[in-house]
Amino acid sequence: MTSRLKRKLNDLGVDTASSKANESFCLIGTPLPPLEKSKDTGEFVPLWKQDVRDEKGRKRLHGAFTGGFSAGYFNSVGSKEGWTPATFVSSRSERAKKKAARPEDFMDEEDLAELRESRKLVDEHEEMDFGGTAAEKRKQAGEADEQDPITAALAASLAPAPTDSVGARILKKMGWRVGQGIGPRLTYAQRKAQDAGIMDPSKEVEGDEEDLEEAKKHTYPRRDTPVLIARRKDNFHGLGYSPGLGLNESVGHGAGGDMGRSRPQISAGFGLGALNDADEDDIDVYDGGIGPSARSRVAYDNLLGEDDHHISIGSRNSTRLGARGPVSVCAVIPICFSSNRHAFDKRVPPGITQTFNDGTPVLKGFVLSDKPVSEDRWFPLPDVPPGWQPNSKRVWEQGKNKENEGATADRMSGPRQPAQSHAAWKASQLSADERGTMLGEAPLPAKTRSIFEFLSQKDRDRLQAFRATRSEGAPQPSPAARPPSPGPPPPAPGGVQIPRLHPSVAKAALTGFQPFTADPLKQSRYTTFLAFQADASSEGLGFGPLPGQSTEEFNKELQDYAKSATVFKPLSGAMADRFRTGAVVELGPNVVEGLHQPTSYTDSTDPDSETKEEKEEDPKLSAVRMGMFGRLTRETVPWQPARLLCKRFGVKEPEVDTTAQAGAASSDFEFATTEAQAKRDAGVPAGPAPAMITAGTEGGDAVVEEPKNKGPRNLATVGLGEDETQGTDTLTYQRPAMDVFKAIFASDDEDSDDEGEGEEENESTPPLALPDVLMPPPPNPVVTPAPPPNAPAEKIDLATFKPTFVPRSERVSGKDKASEKSKEKKRDKEKKRPKAALMSFDVEDDGSMPSFDPTSTHKEKKHRDGERKKKRRKEKQDDEEDDSMWVEKPAPEVVKSLPVAAVPVDGNEGGVDGTGMDAAGPQRGRKRAIDFM
Amino acid sequence: MAPSRGPAATPRTLHKTLANHKGPVHVARYAKGTAKYVLSGGQDRTVKLWNPELGTEIKSYAAHGYEVLSLTVAHDNSRFASCGGDRQVFLWDVVTGQTIRRIPGHMGKIFTVEFNEDASVLASGSYDSTVRLWDLKSQNRQPIQVLDEARDAVQALHVGGSYIVTGSVDGHVRTYDLRMGELRTDFLGHPVTAIVPSQDNQTYLATTLDAHIRLMDMSTGKMLNDFQGHTSTSYRIRSCFGHGESTVVCGDENGSVWAWDLVDAAPLQPNPPPKVHERVITWIEQHPVEAGELITASADGTVKVWRTPS
Repeated sequence: MTSRLKRKLNDLGVDTASSKANESFCLIGTPLPPLEKSKDTGEFVPLWKQDVRDEKGRKRLHGAFTGGFSAGYFNSVGSKEGWTPATFVSSRSERAKKKAARPEDFMDEEDLAELRESRKLVDEHEEMDFGGTAAEKRKQAGEADEQDPITAALAASLAPAPTDSVGARILKKMGWRVGQGIGPRLTYAQRKAQDAGIMDPSKEVEGDEEDLEEAKKHTYPRRDTPVLIARRKDNFHGLGYSPGLGLNESVGHGAGGDMGRSRPQISAGFGLGALNDADEDDIDVYDGGIGPSARSRVAYDNLLGEDDHHISIGSRNSTRLGARGPVSVCAVIPICFSSNRHAFDKRVPPGITQTFNDGTPVLKGFVLSDKPVSEDRWFPLPDVPPGWQPNSKRVWEQGKNKENEGATADRMSGPRQPAQSHAAWKASQLSADERGTMLGEAPLPAKTRSIFEFLSQKDRDRLQAFRATRSEGAPQPSPAARPPSPGPPPPAPGGVQIPRLHPSVAKAALTGFQPFTADPLKQSRYTTFLAFQADASSEGLGFGPLPGQSTEEFNKELQDYAKSATVFKPLSGAMADRFRTGAVVELGPNVVEGLHQPTSYTDSTDPDSETKEEKEEDPKLSAVRMGMFGRLTRETVPWQPARLLCKRFGVKEPEVDTTAQAGAASSDFEFATTEAQAKRDAGVPAGPAPAMITAGTEGGDAVVEEPKNKGPRNLATVGLGEDETQGTDTLTYQRPAMDVFKAIFASDDEDSDDEGEGEEENESTPPLALPDVLMPPPPNPVVTPAPPPNAPAEKIDLATFKPTFVPRSERVSGKDKASEKSKEKKRDKEKKRPKAALMSFDVEDDGSMPSFDPTSTHKEKKHRDGERKKKRRKEKQDDEEDDSMWVEKPAPEVVKSLPVAAVPVDGNEGGVDGTGMDAAGPQRGRKRAIDFM
Repeated sequence: MAPSRGPAATPRTLHKTLANHKGPVHVARYAKGTAKYVLSGGQDRTVKLWNPELGTEIKSYAAHGYEVLSLTVAHDNSRFASCGGDRQVFLWDVVTGQTIRRIPGHMGKIFTVEFNEDASVLASGSYDSTVRLWDLKSQNRQPIQVLDEARDAVQALHVGGSYIVTGSVDGHVRTYDLRMGELRTDFLGHPVTAIVPSQDNQTYLATTLDAHIRLMDMSTGKMLNDFQGHTSTSYRIRSCFGHGESTVVCGDENGSVWAWDLVDAAPLQPNPPPKVHERVITWIEQHPVEAGELITASADGTVKVWRTPS
């Protein structure tokens, strides 16, 4: 606590003597880390937590003091082999051999460990004290003469026994005595040699010859070597500097020169007494540097250590050297270190002591400078030209130009190259592969593969075709206009660079999002730019830089346009399906974006506008504008309500045609044909068979025969591009569904059931043209089909079987009214029949079809089958009068003339089914149980 | 009034004003059955139950955190559902005033909500351009089905016996026919703000923002009649059939109630109708049973009960 603080505290009325006032809040040093980690061994541990383990961590209780007792084999008497009683062995004969028992013999491991621990002998931290005890030191220092020996002995006896350090004790045990040197004892000669080695000649052992002889009989301890004591460095002098020495002396020079000046030069005029020492004040400070012994250094010796700040090296307001004015401390003193002594010697002849202009002598080792300290020079500010405007941008531009200039200047020597962009430069560099090939390296096995290599040949062909058609459609940019492949063309320096965009990109960007709508001028420029880019034939951008717009700015603007065109072009491909954009991109003639709209519906609803959705919008809008709601504004698509929704609404789940169409993709046999499908088929002239029939029977021929099928898309051709014939072999040749076979080959009982189901299916998808049919049909009783008594289905080779269908349109209801017509058609069909390529029924009938009626010919049977199918068809299509499409397999006259008898079947008394049954009953070829009743 | 002598007169005498809402009233609906009560929901985040006969507020249902935009009452009047800005459909118990269920799932504010006939399915149409159909018989958190054909917000919704009609801002009226399994889309060209089918499910009234109310044939999509004269450019406005479906009534943005003859589409007298609300009439609903009563809800914060003087 400083005195000032004390005073202050006293003023405040605080008792400075109190412990509180003296309390120190200073924390010195870093506090030790908390002792959390060190475990408190004495800490209370509950019983259940206590855990007894031996030294090896085993949970075997050992030793009375470590918690337990383990004996024998797992605390049992005996060993692993069992318990064997020890046999008595007399120790009488062994008695002599027996050594005295030590306590250690009776100790166990823990006791031994404890013992070892207790044998901690020395304190390692004690200091070695070679010099002996303090008393001895004092004795050595000659204090003994102050005390008489008695008092000394008393003091020694009263004082506690001197404690030697461990090292001293060890040494003493080894025979060392205080005052001796360490090491084996020496002979006399050796000792003499050692003494000679030691520079102290005063310690030379002197002796007579007899002494010598006597001495040779003994060995002597070595001389004690004084401990080298390095002084602690507590000043700030440089290493090796001794404070009193001047520069010359410290390096060994000038010692001779200054030899004569051992005493400071005392000011003349005043005598110093013999007893007086030369004081600082008495030194002649005006002793100018005349003569070699001009100055002593005494006056500065003290200065050096204490008042370093007095040496001012240079000062601003210095006067000229040599102007001996009254200015006090003003001389300029450049330092000349003794390291370059020659320079120093050159300047100042030794022995000449310089003085400042106020008379103070220049320090040893320093010289006065010849030149005055140069003043800071101030330059006038440059004149700002009138009308100058600060423009930071200009600086950058200048820098840019300078860079380019520098670059071009560098290239001037070599072949001149135009400035390149970084990308171009990078592209011009050799790639690692190219370098490798130049060096003749073997190419790496992992070759980069094009994505096209993963495509199948078919897909590649399709892509090729697609590309070909696209390039036909798109305006082909002239090769001159096409940008060179490595990068943008080298820009004409200072000219307008028009970044190239692919016309398709530009077109897409034109239709896509317009980013500059906020700025109409920019927007118009943008669209002009895009139009220019989209139309490769146009020359001239159509607009130039704005007034006041530099070429660089204009180039940048164009680049911005190009960039935004690539950024804001609408999504394409699969992404476009997921996002609805306001404008639809035309990517090509073949790719139609948007959800796939099954053709049948677009056919049925909008026959004229089925191609493009966006084309549909416009008529719709115009229709709305004209108030022509209805056909144009209505769009009907199948929609599958969730099953649960139907349940909640109490509505039977509809058979949505999407599923039917999807089914058509897998199986070409479509029982529940929609009216749309039927309509489309109706459009097909009667000559070729309908697609869904011929597709199965005639395979690829059907497609070739029906060019009309090519127009509308359907799900079966999605993914095959435009070429519908592609892949038809795989698509069409499929095993039909099982119910097809059932329908044909199962017994008539089942047939009738199937008819009911077919009816049901059919009615649940009523014709779209009659939307007022809102009520569902009465649910048909579900009759589980009885197993056919004589079903031959298992004998059919299903893999190769190809059935044909004949619709029922001719028979059930239209039998009487259109019998003539149908007969004609049937006759046509009969004529055509042999021409059909793959009427596999013939084969199958010949081969595997069991004949149940031995009297009937194959042909008749065929016709009968056909009749049945026709009947079913008819029931399905009873809403329409499309007789023209069902032209196959006329019934022969024989069959026609059979009497019609109504045969009701159990479980099928429903009106529609009943009639179907009535018509079908008598024509069945196979016998049923009912026929025998 | 005998319907043979022409359309029933539109109720134009103010019976009661239900004015406890603070802020615009977005929806006001009659209860089912004899419709003795009126539910209204408004910007003040409450649904209020009124007795239109006495003009008193019976109950206030407050749980919404945002405005209430639509209401629907279950067939047995035991529950109602409300929706609005908080992207959840709240299903309320009428008596206790507690929400039975809160159905999250929409991504945007829900503009319209409808029960089906037996309140087993709840349909909600939202700003996220979907209609979600919620099963109220189970605790399933997922909708039964999401009708996401709309390209813009769904503003109007009607759930019929076997069909769902939605009106969207994209100008389409979509009829999801469950029985036929098909979706019939009628393009009206302007944002559809209300869809009210007629009783026979053959026609529907579509209110669009081009200030037209169109009577559309549901089966063919043909326009049967076009009612115009009112102002409707920016607000959701509902039009509905008058009693016996002989007239079409609609409130407009000026606060007047228009009425047209259904058949000849001529505005009924008075033409132009007087201004009865301060601000836009957001909802109008004809009493389902009583011939001479209708309610209008308006952005001026009132629901007014109109009657014909007897």
